[in-house]
Amino acid sequence: MTDAAESTTETTHEHADHGEGHIVSIPTLVATGIVLLFLTWVTVWAAGRDWGPANIWVALGIAALKGSVVALIFMHLRWDRPFNGIVFVGSLAFVTLLIALAMVDTSEYQEDLHRGDAPAVRDTLQEVQP
Amino acid sequence: MSMLTADHPGPQSNYLTHSRGILSWLFTLDHKRIGVMYLISILASFFVGGVLALLVRTELIAPGETIMGQDTYNRTFTMHGAIMIFLVIIPSIPAALGNFVLPIMLGAKDVAFPRLNLTSYWLWVLGAIFAVTSMVMGGVDTGWTFYAPYSTEEARTGVVYVTVGAFILGFSSIFTGLNFIVTIHRLRPRGMTWFRMPLFLWSLYATSIIQILATPVLGITLLLLIVERVFQVGIFDPALGGDPVLYQHFFWFYSHPAVYIMILPAMGIISELISIHSHKHIFGYRFIAYSSIAIALFGFLVWGHHMFTSGQSAVVNAIFSAITFSVSIPSAIKVFNWLATLYKGSISLNTPMLYALSFIFIFTIGGLTGLFLGTLATDIHLHDTYFVVAHFHYVMMGSALIAMIGGMHHWWPKITGKMYSEVMGRLAWALVFVGFNVAFFSQFMLGSQGMPRRYHDYSDTVGNWLPEKTELFHLYHVISSIGSYVMAIGFFLILFYLLHSIFKGRRAPANPWGGRSLEWQCASPPPHNNFDTPPAVGDCYDYSVLEWDAEEGGYHWREDVPHPNGEET
Amino acid sequence: MTFLPSIPNLLATAAEGPVGGGFWMPRQASPIADVVDDIFFFILWISVFFFVLIVALMVLFVIKYRRREGQERQPSASHNTVLEVTWTIIPLILVIIIFYVGLRGYVGMVQEPLNAYEVWVTGQRWFWSFEHANGAVQSDRLTVPAGRPVKLKMTSTDVIHSFYIPDFRLKKDVVPGRYTYLWFEAPEPGQYQLFCAEYCGAQHSQMTGIIEVVPADQFEDIITQKANWIDDYADEDLARAGLRLYPRCQSCHTLDGSRLQGPSFRETHRLWGQQRVLDDGSEVTVDENYVRNSIINPASQIVMNYPNVMPTFQGQLKEREVRALIEFIRKLDEVVDESGNPIE
Repeated sequence: MTDAAESTTETTHEHADHGEGHIVSIPTLVATGIVLLFLTWVTVWAAGRDWGPANIWVALGIAALKGSVVALIFMHLRWDRPFNGIVFVGSLAFVTLLIALAMVDTSEYQEDLHRGDAPAVRDTLQEVQP
Repeated sequence: MSMLTADHPGPQSNYLTHSRGILSWLFTLDHKRIGVMYLISILASFFVGGVLALLVRTELIAPGETIMGQDTYNRTFTMHGAIMIFLVIIPSIPAALGNFVLPIMLGAKDVAFPRLNLTSYWLWVLGAIFAVTSMVMGGVDTGWTFYAPYSTEEARTGVVYVTVGAFILGFSSIFTGLNFIVTIHRLRPRGMTWFRMPLFLWSLYATSIIQILATPVLGITLLLLIVERVFQVGIFDPALGGDPVLYQHFFWFYSHPAVYIMILPAMGIISELISIHSHKHIFGYRFIAYSSIAIALFGFLVWGHHMFTSGQSAVVNAIFSAITFSVSIPSAIKVFNWLATLYKGSISLNTPMLYALSFIFIFTIGGLTGLFLGTLATDIHLHDTYFVVAHFHYVMMGSALIAMIGGMHHWWPKITGKMYSEVMGRLAWALVFVGFNVAFFSQFMLGSQGMPRRYHDYSDTVGNWLPEKTELFHLYHVISSIGSYVMAIGFFLILFYLLHSIFKGRRAPANPWGGRSLEWQCASPPPHNNFDTPPAVGDCYDYSVLEWDAEEGGYHWREDVPHPNGEET
Repeated sequence: MTFLPSIPNLLATAAEGPVGGGFWMPRQASPIADVVDDIFFFILWISVFFFVLIVALMVLFVIKYRRREGQERQPSASHNTVLEVTWTIIPLILVIIIFYVGLRGYVGMVQEPLNAYEVWVTGQRWFWSFEHANGAVQSDRLTVPAGRPVKLKMTSTDVIHSFYIPDFRLKKDVVPGRYTYLWFEAPEPGQYQLFCAEYCGAQHSQMTGIIEVVPADQFEDIITQKANWIDDYADEDLARAGLRLYPRCQSCHTLDGSRLQGPSFRETHRLWGQQRVLDDGSEVTVDENYVRNSIINPASQIVMNYPNVMPTFQGQLKEREVRALIEFIRKLDEVVDESGNPIE
């Protein structure tokens, strides 16, 4: 998919070969836009149904699909050098790291939390539920 | 690119005289002018932050209320921290000096995205305005860390302004980082491979990676903080069902790497200064370059060491302590390589070199005291005491800012085209160096003896203080305050002679120190376009091709060595 | 220049260190302090060695290789992989050792002994309160037995605080919404300083306390007496008992009429039996019921122009203690004079 020659010249003379880059055709962009709109409709539709414990995974799955389409086509990642893909995946790895380590920690001290003792929330709930 | 400056410059024209009028500065796309505007703005912020620091030190010179009450004190140290970190140290080297030097070092005409560069500056100004607004609105007393749930309480209206300010400053930082990465990737001249770049560029590259990866997390965290405050959604505040320790995770995920945003470019400057003023090839180029990248990546994995006592679980504490030590290795490598560069060099003790040597002195102390804080058992005692205050001032002020001041002296002839007084330079350096160490070394003992940070008062007449503590703390506070005044005199002296040099200084030669990187090959100050033709690149640490010219007061290319461009510059 | 200390005095203090302590560390008042100090000095000596090495080499090179007129630089290598790998590996080994030593010390701190004496600790702006198993409640001063492990179960009612005893080398944040734990053992009877180490607002520096370690054989009597002290006061003398409870109120309520976070008790006393305007514009009669309600459910009636910052004291005061405070405010001028000093 990627021009191998371009990636190997990375270290030496770059002035010579940084051209226009890949240009995505208008029909592709329009088609992608339609796909995204359709997926948005799917999001709304899925939100209206109860999938039980799978709720979160259905929502995240659709969101991930939309995100990938945007990154691959709108952001040209599909036609880019693999290096940019590595950078993209690498940055996702950092996000994973943040969330994973923070979650490992919070799960460790769950039992020390005052269960249900959030005064403001409790008050609001009492107001809402007569 | 130069739409605003379309007139034809004469042969003597440089970037300063290229076009006139205030608008030609405010809306310039020239990286050099943007760098100079950044420099002036950052120094002005440094002045404000410095005055706040002196107020804090004066308040603490005696137990009890000395010059201000506790509320004013809390606002003062908060604004001191917020200004120094977000407005001064983070942008100081990359945005001011980096902006000026980076494209010239690459032999380029400008950065890759000049408009983004200007946007970044104006976002900085906007962020600064928000910070000042919060001061006018009654101030913020949360500490620069904005820990929840203290910061999400309703009484603190100023918090929203400061966090919005920090959010905007984050974007300014991201734009600069993005710009530098693209510039280094795309605009390197023919012949400058990755491993022929000056080390300052390597460090700016590593810094930019952190700016791009970490700053968005700060943005999101601050947004969540504002959302919680404004819409009362429970995220961090336990009263709403949130988790305050989670805030600390999010906050330090940015703010720890931010320490490396501050120190990495400083290390880059030191690599340049040590080599150039020793007139010797930098020792272990590849190890220094790789260690910058290693610090940038490891820096992301250690944020939890700010939270050893926070209620973070013991397992996670152990993990973070272990990874924390890994960051110390690349820093140690750099220090040893600098020492090896001095070995058999030909060392000129110019003012920039004095700053570079004092960097090694101060950074060694700052780095070694980090060992006490990375070690679990000792950090439990030292956390949130003056030991930590002393440690991060040794790293952030004594190292990052000292390197910035050193770099400013190093490139001053290039930026202004004028030489400053060496005598005054050395005198001011001595005041700053001695003042700094007096002010902050005493705080190590203050902290290890148990004085908590952010205390307005340590008098045994109020509350439950044992007199033995008050007496000892008083001694170290007095020493520390005296040191801070000495340092302040030094900084004022610098301001004085640098301003003096602009008007009365000797004209600077193109290459006053004997540097080999490309910025020393164009005139001082550089012309608007930096280079008419892309210059040829050699080994930027090979000084054997230069010789001293007493008449010019600078260095030039040796007659008997053919110039790669085929002509003299 | 009255704010400057007497320099010779202070230099003497620094040379001797504080009572029982050294130049770097305060006195060691728990077995853990001993462990921590050993690790501290182990790292300190490694640091001193490297600092001296680095600075000495730097100074030596600067003197030996300073630039001289007309002298050519001696040639020397610009890299040496063996050397560079060496000074990567040596620090690496050292920090692994330091990490291990620190981890071992830390495990000793967090592993709780089984037979510990337990105390519930509440941090709130800006004081500490301690609740013993027998119902004794203390404020800013914690009495514990010597030579027996003490376990603290801590939480906060407002923002994050941090429980810090330098002489024990222990610190733990006190977080709202959850419990955190800390244990210590103090072999020697004495008084030890307690600090709040996490910034918590205006009077952060006054959120201090004292840990009072008493001989184990006297502890039982002392704490029983503390639990029942209020019963020693006759009903007509309850106002005086209120004065003893007052330190828990003093960070926000004065006795001399001056204003802090909350209205002065002097003002409440003056208004006894009269109407007081609340922040929603309504009025309330200042009486026994009003004061009780203000202690148990403070947010329900905020006095006009005052912030809503007071935490509830429900469960922290016994019924008789609440009555003592009511009596204290009602009979304020019988107990203290105009400037708030007790009348004997």
